[in-house]
Amino acid sequence: MSIVSTLEWIESTDLSTTIREGALPYPIIGGIHLLGIALFGGMLLATDLRLLGWAMQRRRVSDLVEQFRPWKQLGFVLVVASGLLLAWAEPQKLYRSPAFWVKMALFALVGVHALVFRAGVYENPARLDAAVTGQAKLAAAISLLLWAGLIVSGRLIAFDS
Amino acid sequence: MSALSFFEWLTTSPWANAMNGPEWAFPVVQSLHFMGFALSIGTIAIVDLRLLGWGMRRQTAAELAADLERWTLLGFAVMLITGPLMFSADAVRYHYNPSFQFKMTCLMVALLFHYTIHRRATRSEVSPIAAKLAGGVSLALWTAVVAGGRMIAFV
Repeated sequence: MSIVSTLEWIESTDLSTTIREGALPYPIIGGIHLLGIALFGGMLLATDLRLLGWAMQRRRVSDLVEQFRPWKQLGFVLVVASGLLLAWAEPQKLYRSPAFWVKMALFALVGVHALVFRAGVYENPARLDAAVTGQAKLAAAISLLLWAGLIVSGRLIAFDS
Repeated sequence: MSALSFFEWLTTSPWANAMNGPEWAFPVVQSLHFMGFALSIGTIAIVDLRLLGWGMRRQTAAELAADLERWTLLGFAVMLITGPLMFSADAVRYHYNPSFQFKMTCLMVALLFHYTIHRRATRSEVSPIAAKLAGGVSLALWTAVVAGGRMIAFV
């Protein structure tokens, strides 16, 4: 089965048609996507700004990382699940959109970022309580850039046609 | 000068022309708008979750609010610059858009609530029920602002 026929099949499913053609599902799912961005992104920003020494200096890194974790996970699930539904609604448009592929490449880099920095930064944040390491600052800076890139590329998808 | 003629003038302003100029202008400003609301609403949500008692319990709501206040404000500043820029680009159409009107009403109430009742709930000793109520109302108001914003493109 070719890619194009797979995408056509996806668009012919009831779920895809409902999201694409109904008046409410698309904006509601889009709204959930944005709320997930605010929840996940707000905590990501707070963590990164703390690691960079710009915010929340009176809080321990480990306190923040540990307390944010369940909410960041919830935000991540909201963003990814709603994103998958939005993609399911119009896969052919996304397949042709350069911005979409930039976004997916950045998303892959988020995975690389996690693999590279998990052990040294996020898994054992108590080590950063006394002093934030250069590696952790680098992780925070890259995380900010990736996140900004994901937002810009995501927004550009709507303008690719 | 009526509001409508002001909005008509806005659409001919230099910054509206800039927004309607290169194709990338609108999405880039909109992206900044998203980053601004992630910063402001995200940091407000952190405080709200504490007020509700759902998370962040190793600090008081007062401590979190004091830590994050300036970042919330920075997010507001970004939103309140990028938002009107986007509005200028097509002011008359937005003016008649019911989702836009809904969003602006919610935004006014949310901002007013944030700097009055919400601020009081994070600054002085209030009963747990009052704190929960303030956190819950705040989350609901900001959710409505985001949802209303998303609907603008569809209504």
